[in-house]
Amino acid sequence: MSQSAQIRRSSGGFFLTLVSRYWGVLAVLLAWQAWVSISGVNAIVMPHPIDVLLNIVQNPGSYWQNGSQTLLLAAGGLVMGMALGTLIAVVAWTSRVLSGILIPLGLIFSSVPVVALIPVLARLLGYDVRTVLAIVVIISFFPAFVFTSAGLRALPPGSEDLFQVLGASKWRRFVHLVMPSAVPNWMIALRLAAPPAVLSAMVAEFLMGSSGLGYMFRAAATDFDTAQAFGTSVVATAISVLCFTAATLAETRVNQKWK
Amino acid sequence: MSAPHPQVSSTPWAIDIDHVGKVFTLDNGESLVAVDTVDLKIEKGEFVALLGPSGCGKSTILRLVAALEDPTTGRIAIENRDPLSLSRQHRLGVAFQDHALLPWLSVKNNIALPYKVAGRPVDHERIADLLGLVGLKGFENARPSQLSGGMRQRVSIARALILNPDVLLLDEPFGALDAVTRRHMNVELQRIWGEERITSLLVTHSVEEALFLADRVIVMSGRPGRVVKSIAVPFERPRRPEVQRTAEFHSLADELTLALEPEEAAAS
Repeated sequence: MSQSAQIRRSSGGFFLTLVSRYWGVLAVLLAWQAWVSISGVNAIVMPHPIDVLLNIVQNPGSYWQNGSQTLLLAAGGLVMGMALGTLIAVVAWTSRVLSGILIPLGLIFSSVPVVALIPVLARLLGYDVRTVLAIVVIISFFPAFVFTSAGLRALPPGSEDLFQVLGASKWRRFVHLVMPSAVPNWMIALRLAAPPAVLSAMVAEFLMGSSGLGYMFRAAATDFDTAQAFGTSVVATAISVLCFTAATLAETRVNQKWK
Repeated sequence: MSAPHPQVSSTPWAIDIDHVGKVFTLDNGESLVAVDTVDLKIEKGEFVALLGPSGCGKSTILRLVAALEDPTTGRIAIENRDPLSLSRQHRLGVAFQDHALLPWLSVKNNIALPYKVAGRPVDHERIADLLGLVGLKGFENARPSQLSGGMRQRVSIARALILNPDVLLLDEPFGALDAVTRRHMNVELQRIWGEERITSLLVTHSVEEALFLADRVIVMSGRPGRVVKSIAVPFERPRRPEVQRTAEFHSLADELTLALEPEEAAAS
């Protein structure tokens, strides 16, 4: 409720909120600038925040292109991973035998470190965006699977008796009761999976990509272009925060309606 | 009747609870007799109240009639058929003690739910009529979390009535409400029932509620549940709340209270 009220406030109020909320970030930036100016540390080790900002402003095309690519891959992979996780949770819900197979498999699959998966997948799918997408799908799959599985069993009190006396078929019970019951849990999965989706897309790009923010960071770091490397990190952080905030807002909205 | 049930002999009763017993097996392997040979016949259009202390098996009887449990012994028939076939044909209306409304649906959509579950087109006029009948006009788009306890129970009752059921089962629908709201809801329910006249079975532990609403009150003893008394309620319908202040009402209430508490009767 407070979040939507804040959105409705005027832009001046919005700026004030920004300062009052994120003064900590601003303070860190100021301290950083003060420290590099006073100590005179080499720009290859630690760039000035101003230089980082200038680097972003002076190369908008390159940041935009790579940033949007990473964002699209993360978002696309997130959607596909969530869809896959939901689908498998539903399949597992329909039968005890299937859930006995799928739950341990999902657990094992999600426990394998992404870094170990990347070379294998790259050889299978090619050293390009397809592998990046596949990594994001795998990372996003597990929270969707776990939370949807739990949500499909979290039915409102008395609703099972109700659907039985209403003479509901299994299909109608699923559509009108089981699926809607899982929605709040599904939104939690979305919020939890959104930041790792961005992170895993960047890791995959960093290790084997030829474009995207991850690749851009590696290229900049190799060239000792520290300002650009930092700029890439700033943009990546911004994208990650954006995804998390959007997912949190969506979750709040849905919970208002659902509870 | 195109295909009468082969095993079931024809009876004139709307609900025939024929020497029914229910034994639950507990987790530690012991068995618990919840209902011990209850024999109860309910006529078509009759309103029967099951009155008893908590844990006497009265809710179990209601769950047996609703086909939510199977009897261990005996047999239940609703209009000469198995209770399960009644719910499968969407001809059963139940209002539960916990309203069991779906939190994500508006009042209107909660009441429309039985149509959707039955795969029938939603009759918006009927929903509007019932909303008026239960006094919730103007709350169509509210969600259950925005309503008071009494209003939620009204929605639950409207939902139970929406498909014009042949049998209405009420499991302490006002058990969780405060005394004032409860009395008010009883007056409302009496009025609603007067318009629909559905064969009804009410489970309650309130003597006044049973007397005010029912045509017949059945008193059950504590565990194991069995019928100890049955009285016909003489009051004319429609009943006005003033009925509850007459001497006849009070003497019947005393009689029922004594039947409920045999220990006290023996002591005095």
